[in-house]
Amino acid sequence: MSYTRRDFLKGALGASTLLSFAPAAPSLLVRSAMGAPRRDDRNTVLVVVQLSGGNDGLNTVVPYADDEYARNRPTLRLPTEELHKIDSLIGFHPRMGAFLQLYKDGFLSIVQGVGCPNQDQSHEVAMRLWHTADPDHPNRQTGWLGRTVDGIRGPNRTNAPAVFVGSIAQPFALNAKDVIVPSIRLPGDLVAAQVPGQPDDRSQSKRIAELPRANRDNPLLDSLRQCATNTYDNSRRIEAAAQTTANTAEYPPYGLAGHLRTVAQLIRADIGIRIFFVELGGGGIGGFDNHANQMGNHCALLHQLSESVAAFVHDLRRDKALDRVLLMTFSEFGRTVSENGRRGTDHGAAAPVFLAGGKLKTGLVGSHPNLTDLDSGALKFKIDFRRVYATVLDRWLGFESRTVLDGQFEALDILSV
Amino acid sequence: MAVLVNRSAAEYQPGDPGWLWAAYEPSTQRPWNLAQAGHLYRRAAFGAPWDELQQALSDGPQRAIDKLLRPQTDPAAFNREHDEYETSAAGSVNELRAWWLRRMIQTPHPLLEKMTLFWHSHFAANAANVNDVRLMQRHVRLLRSQALGSFRTLLQEISRDPAMLLWLGADANRKALPNENYARPLMDAFSLGSGNYTQKDVSEAARACTGWFVLRGQLRRIDREHDDGGKTILGQKGNFTCDDVIRIVLEQPAAAQTLVRKLYRFLISETEEPQAELIAPLAKSFAKDYDILKLIETMLRSNLFFSEAAYRRRIKCPVEFALGIVRGLEGMVSTTQLAQDLANLGQNLYHLPTVNGWTGGLHWINSATYAGRHNLALALLQSSGPYGGKLNPLLIARKHGASTPESAARSLLDLFLQGGLDAGVYDAVLKTAQAPADSTGNNFEDRLRRFTHTVATLPEFNLA
Repeated sequence: MSYTRRDFLKGALGASTLLSFAPAAPSLLVRSAMGAPRRDDRNTVLVVVQLSGGNDGLNTVVPYADDEYARNRPTLRLPTEELHKIDSLIGFHPRMGAFLQLYKDGFLSIVQGVGCPNQDQSHEVAMRLWHTADPDHPNRQTGWLGRTVDGIRGPNRTNAPAVFVGSIAQPFALNAKDVIVPSIRLPGDLVAAQVPGQPDDRSQSKRIAELPRANRDNPLLDSLRQCATNTYDNSRRIEAAAQTTANTAEYPPYGLAGHLRTVAQLIRADIGIRIFFVELGGGGIGGFDNHANQMGNHCALLHQLSESVAAFVHDLRRDKALDRVLLMTFSEFGRTVSENGRRGTDHGAAAPVFLAGGKLKTGLVGSHPNLTDLDSGALKFKIDFRRVYATVLDRWLGFESRTVLDGQFEALDILSV
Repeated sequence: MAVLVNRSAAEYQPGDPGWLWAAYEPSTQRPWNLAQAGHLYRRAAFGAPWDELQQALSDGPQRAIDKLLRPQTDPAAFNREHDEYETSAAGSVNELRAWWLRRMIQTPHPLLEKMTLFWHSHFAANAANVNDVRLMQRHVRLLRSQALGSFRTLLQEISRDPAMLLWLGADANRKALPNENYARPLMDAFSLGSGNYTQKDVSEAARACTGWFVLRGQLRRIDREHDDGGKTILGQKGNFTCDDVIRIVLEQPAAAQTLVRKLYRFLISETEEPQAELIAPLAKSFAKDYDILKLIETMLRSNLFFSEAAYRRRIKCPVEFALGIVRGLEGMVSTTQLAQDLANLGQNLYHLPTVNGWTGGLHWINSATYAGRHNLALALLQSSGPYGGKLNPLLIARKHGASTPESAARSLLDLFLQGGLDAGVYDAVLKTAQAPADSTGNNFEDRLRRFTHTVATLPEFNLA
C-alpha cells in the first residue's frame, strides 16, 4: 500500500502532464520532507507533567544547609529533620518520600535551576513561553510538542503521535499546525466502540476496509484504509492492555495518578503514541499558585505528585516498560525566595525539573541556584529550559530539536541511551 | 452501479486547461448520474437527502448547479432569522457553534454556509484570543456576507473587523511602534502566500496600517497615531494607508493565484498541487473583479470537477462527515453535542488552531480521529444516547419504497455512496445487512441503524 510520487501523479489526470509537482509544493505531500524527521525507529515515550500555577521549587527541593533559606522563610521553612535528605545540602519536601526512594533507586533525576530568558511574571505569558519554547516570539502559534508532531513522518503517520490526558483544556504546548492531537481521560476514549447487538462489527469494518479496491488510484483512499486497519487493531490492543493492568497496578486515588494510569495502559497497548501530556494543579492559574497560606496546599500537591509518579514508575517497572519511558515535569515559574508576609510566596523564576524513567544516568544535574544572587527576589536560572527540551527531543525521542526550537540547544548528558 | 467517468485519452488534452475548465455537458461517455449528483452535493453542500439527489438527477447539471449557486428560495430571510437566534442566544461561543451547525443543516443555501466555513478557516480566528462572543458572532456574519461576494470587499472588511485584530494581537497599531501582527498574515496566509512578499513589505504595510485600534470591542481610528510618511510596498511608493495596502496586495498576480489554488484544494482535489497553467486562466479572470461566486461557478461547472481527477479526491472534514449523515437522514440532532464532538475530531468551530486555519486533508485522519468518527456515527445512529435516536434510517428507506432488508440496504447505499464503491466492497457491505443479528437487536430498525453505521465507517464514506 505504499505509494510512490509517480503513483500519486498518475492518479489525477491519467497520462496528462498538466498536473505535477510544482516548486510551490502541495502541503500534503511535501511537508513530510520538512520539520523534525524521525531519526530512527525508536519507540521511546515522553510523558510531560505540567504543574500549573508556579511551583515553589525552594520548598520542593529544599536547600536546608543554606542559612538564607531559613532566614527568607520564617513561616514556610520546612523543618530540617523532616526532610528526605538527598545529600548534605538539599532534601525533598517532607511529603515527597516516594521521590527520595525513586531517586535512590536511580529512577529519578533532578535538574536544578531551570528557567527561561524573558521570564514574565504573569501566569499566562510565562506558561505560553514554556509551551511555545519561543521567548522571542510571544505570539508564536504552535507549541513545542505540536511542532514536534507536525514533523513526524513515516509509515506510522496514521497513528496519533501525541495525546493529552486530562480534563482541562488542551495545553498549548500541543498546539500543532497540522496534526490533530486528541484530548482524552481514559484509554477507552481512543477505542472505536463495539456496536451493541453486533459483536463482530469492528472486525467486519476492518475486513471491509481491507478488501482490495480494483482499479483505483487514489492515495487518499489508501491512507484511509490503512488508518481504518490501524484504528480497529489499536482498539483491540487498548482493550487488552486495560484488562491486563487495570486490576493489578496500584495507584493512589488522585486525579494525576488516574491520568498516569491511563498513560501506562496506552504505553502498554503500544499504539504508536510517543508523547503524553498530563497536568497537576487544575489548569487556569493553577493550584501551585499560593500567594497566601501556602503550606497545606503545597504539601498536598507535592504529595500527589510524588505518590502518583512513583505508582506510575512501579507499574511500568513490572514488565520493563519503564526502559522506554521518560517523564518530565515543569512549571511556568518558581517562586520568590522570601515569603510575602501572608504565609505565601510570589511569582519567581528558576525551579527544578524532575525526570523519571528507566534510563537515567545522573541523579543530580546542575547545582542549586544561589539564594543571594536574585533578580526581583527570584532565583536566576542556570539551565535554559530549552536545553531540557533539546535533551528529550534529541536524545530521548530521536526527533531533531533544532527545527522544533529554531536553533541548537546543548542537550544535557543525563540519559543512558 | 454507476460508472462515474469514462476517462478517454482523447478528451484529456495535456496542456489544455481550456477543456478542463469548460462546462461539463453530459454525454453517453460521461453521463449525468447519481454519482455525479452526489459528488456535487458533497462539495457544494453538506450532502443531500434522497429527494434532492433525485431532483438534481432530473434537473441535469446546469440547473442543479444553478440552484446551489442561486437558490430559488431567498435565503436572506432564513439567515436574518438565524442571526436573531444567535443574538438572543449568544451567551457563549459554544452556543454560537451550535447555532451555526443548525444553520448548516437547515439552510436553503448550503453553498453559502460551505463557503463561510471555507473563509472561517482562511481567516482562522480563534475565540479564545478574541474573548468576546459578540465580536465572534459579527466576525462569522461578516464572512457569510461576502462568502460568495467580493474577495476585495471581504479583505477590506476583515481588516477592520475587531475580532480579527484582537485575534491576531493587532488591536493597537501606533505610529511609534508599528504592529506587524496584522500586516504579516494579510500578505501571507490571507492573500499572497509565502515567498511572494518580503519582510520589508510587511514592515511598510504595518506602518500604513498605523492608527487603527480596538478599544473596548470597538474599532477606533486615531489620526495622530497614523504614520502618513512615504512607504514602499511591493514595489509601489506612496503615502499609503491600510486600504492602499489591500489594493496593492490584490494587484499582485500571486493574490488571485494563491486563492484559486486554495479553492482548488477545497472544491476539486487534495491529492496534488495543480500546475500553474491549470490555475492561470481562473486566476487571471478572478483578478479582474475578485468575484468569488463567478470563480466557484466556473469550478463547479467544469469538466475537471466532474472528472475522476476530482471524484473522491478530498477527505471530508468532520463537519462534512457528520452533516452528511444528518442531512442524508433528514433529521435534526442536538448541535450543542455535535459541536463538542466535532471539536474532539479536530474541528472546533470558532477556534482555529493557527493563523493557517485547518490544514485538513489527510491531517484530519489518524487512528484517534478515525475511532472518533466511528463513535460519532454510532452515537448519531443509535436509538438512544446523546443524540436521542432522532435519525432513523428505516423511516428514510421506507419513504423511498424499500421494504425488505436488502432493498432498504441498497437504497441507503445509494443515498450515502451513490454506488461509488467497488463491486466486491459493495457486495460485502450489502451482506452485512443480511447477517443474522443476535437476539438483542434483531428487529428491522436496529439492523438498519447498524447497517448505516457500517456504511459510515467505510473509508469511502470519509471521502468528499
